[in-house]
Amino acid sequence: MKNRRLTTVILMAVALVFLSAVTASGYFWKEAALATDFSRKDLSPSIAFLFGTDWMGRDMFVRTIVGLSLSIRIGLLTAAASAVLAFLMGTAAAVMGKKTDSLICGLIDVIMGIPHILLLILISYACGRGFWGVVVGVSLTHWTSLARLIRGEVLQLKESNYIRIAERLGHSRWYIAFRHMAPCLFPQFAVGLVLLFPHAILHEASITFLGFGLSPEQPAIGVILSESMQYLAMGKWWLALFPGILLLVTVLMFHFIGQGLVRLVNPGSAQE
Amino acid sequence: MKKIKWKTGRAAAAAMILFAVAGMTACGQGSQEESRPAAGQTERPEKKNSVTVVMGPTSEPAAGFDPAYGWGAGEHVHEPLIQSTLTVTEPDLTIGYDLATDVEVSGDGMVWTVTIRDDVYFTDGEQLTAEDVAFTYNTLKNTSSVNDFTMLKEAKALDDVTVEFHMERPYSIWPYTMAVTGIVPEHAYGNDYGSHPIGSGRYMLEQWDKGQQVILKANPDYYGEAPNMEEVIILFMEEDAAYAAVQAGQADVAYTAATYAGQTVSGYELAAFPTVDNRGFNLPAIPAGETGEDGIPLGNDFTCDVNVRRAINLAIDREEMIENVLNGYGTPAYSVCDKMPWYNPAAEISCDREEAARLLNEAGWTVGEDGIREKNGVKAGFKLLYPAGDSVRQALSADTANQLREVGIQVDIQGTDWDTAYDMAQSEPLMWGWGAHTPMELYNIYHSSGNGGYARYSPYRNETVDSYMDQALACTDLEESYELWKKAQWDGKTGIIQEGDIPWIWLVNADHLYWVRDGLTVAEQKIHPHGHGWSIVNNVDQWSWSETAQ
Repeated sequence: MKNRRLTTVILMAVALVFLSAVTASGYFWKEAALATDFSRKDLSPSIAFLFGTDWMGRDMFVRTIVGLSLSIRIGLLTAAASAVLAFLMGTAAAVMGKKTDSLICGLIDVIMGIPHILLLILISYACGRGFWGVVVGVSLTHWTSLARLIRGEVLQLKESNYIRIAERLGHSRWYIAFRHMAPCLFPQFAVGLVLLFPHAILHEASITFLGFGLSPEQPAIGVILSESMQYLAMGKWWLALFPGILLLVTVLMFHFIGQGLVRLVNPGSAQE
Repeated sequence: MKKIKWKTGRAAAAAMILFAVAGMTACGQGSQEESRPAAGQTERPEKKNSVTVVMGPTSEPAAGFDPAYGWGAGEHVHEPLIQSTLTVTEPDLTIGYDLATDVEVSGDGMVWTVTIRDDVYFTDGEQLTAEDVAFTYNTLKNTSSVNDFTMLKEAKALDDVTVEFHMERPYSIWPYTMAVTGIVPEHAYGNDYGSHPIGSGRYMLEQWDKGQQVILKANPDYYGEAPNMEEVIILFMEEDAAYAAVQAGQADVAYTAATYAGQTVSGYELAAFPTVDNRGFNLPAIPAGETGEDGIPLGNDFTCDVNVRRAINLAIDREEMIENVLNGYGTPAYSVCDKMPWYNPAAEISCDREEAARLLNEAGWTVGEDGIREKNGVKAGFKLLYPAGDSVRQALSADTANQLREVGIQVDIQGTDWDTAYDMAQSEPLMWGWGAHTPMELYNIYHSSGNGGYARYSPYRNETVDSYMDQALACTDLEESYELWKKAQWDGKTGIIQEGDIPWIWLVNADHLYWVRDGLTVAEQKIHPHGHGWSIVNNVDQWSWSETAQ
């Protein structure tokens, strides 16, 4: 019997396995991704070198996987950080009264008003570039839409009877927020968190592509793509194509997981 | 929820389009690799005596064609074309005359007297006099931010054709400064001179579309031999765009990099011009611990040992590096000034890793379990910095790391930007590029007049070397000064080469590569200095098209 729920679970499992495999192998191949060997430079894709080699004889397959693994780790870190930030900000805006609310809403508007990539460049530059520059930059720019969403949900919840009863019973605002509201917010929060990943990864890729992130010998996906752009004119298409496709696949995997999660936790579709 | 979903979808879609486009472009280019003489595309432009030259975007003079802001006399020296200079450098890099008819220096080296031609006119019709020369040098002394004029006290015009330079200190290589300093008209010099230059040189600026192109027209009243090329169009493009322009037949001469050297383009030939555009890295020659004038840490505990530095120099296989990184287009570099009249060939060395290993053993660095040497629990190695965005220097750094691992030295490479590179190089080796048509570069690199009693770019001090260079600058005869510059490099006992202190390791001189359209003869080039740009057109006035090509 074909069950949509089962397919969703299987798809999610596959995506998870893929992503963890990439992340893990990136960890083991760290050294190999930096190794240069000029005796094997500029090779087109073959069995030995699935994605070919670049102008310094680096194995592009290993480099791409390590780059993606870095992207995923940055994605995890930043998505988690910005989700927590979003949760706190969103809840605080809704719970802490008018002044806090307008302050936080104003902040959200300001951050959303500035083009993401610009703010990202500014923050990561101010943090001295490198790994932490990218992490801080992506975290501080991606929490806004989720925060706004959570604020809306909390405002709605505030009017519900059980919250009002809790208020009458004399519980503090923060007690109510964490004890009574948080469980109701969890589905939105979890899905929002997962859907932040692809966004964070693509922004990590773009900032390293533009050269504001990691040093060029580092195997970051953006670095790989920006380097390979220079070699397109010489017909070395494999340098850009395969890493690009793999980045896309990774992002789509996260997207699938997010959508699967929506189906599973959303009461409207959970029983399909 | 909806909002987030939409945004993610959009980002994913954007990425998809991006890579689809990238993929298509790639495939399209791939099929053109053989290159093709598509109908009409590789024909020369109909204009005779015109040439289109493509340079990199960084070659565009940011502040225009004003010698005070680096035109000709900047970081990358070349002939200013639009302006005349007092002297010129000959193909063998000795000194010849342009405006000057005679150059004399007083016995103490403090006064230079230059007489100039009396038949030279600016393109606005005014005569060029000694007043203009004095004005130019006094202006540059006050305003030049990119070239050093601190040795000049004052320039004075004695009459219409005689100018005297009074110096702060003896400076025997003054003629090399005169060779890149374009003379500007006193009556027509102002803030916008850079974009509306008036000179007396072979060419006039016809048009400058910033960020795109410069059009030069021959000066009809030029006092020398009339330029053969009447129009010179300079386009500024990135490497890949320059290559595409050549494929489309839109340029006559276009710069390119060694990575493109394997390609063939019909109707063009790849021309490689030898250079002194060298690449090498500094090895801080003092132990860590001291700080410079502004609190920057100086020195490196690994590279402060002279045996370590000698071993590193011996372990480098320059020929292999040229094959690996430059695809064969380069020459080994043994000094900052290879092939110049002031170069001391004693610096030449061949790779000998056994001897390098012996020196390292002698210095107490013994091979550990993982093949990396150790001494008292410290691993032998250093961080090698390179300017991010310079793929050639990155590859040279990577190859250096590979080669030094052969003798048990662990080198980690790291990209950096120029904001921090100068400071970091005081304690960590950095992959530099040098090479100029003046011995002053030796002084800048090795003389300890820089940072807190050490050389300016990497801590090093040798009083004997200093004194030879001081003597060379004080010398009144140029030929004699060459010998002193050579002694500063190696006098038989001490110096800056392998047998001496070897505070810098020189790797390669990278050839300057250009695609040149068939039928165009590019006149004989001087050895190009650092800077893959305007040097190529130093003598564009003597280039010619063969009859058949027209």
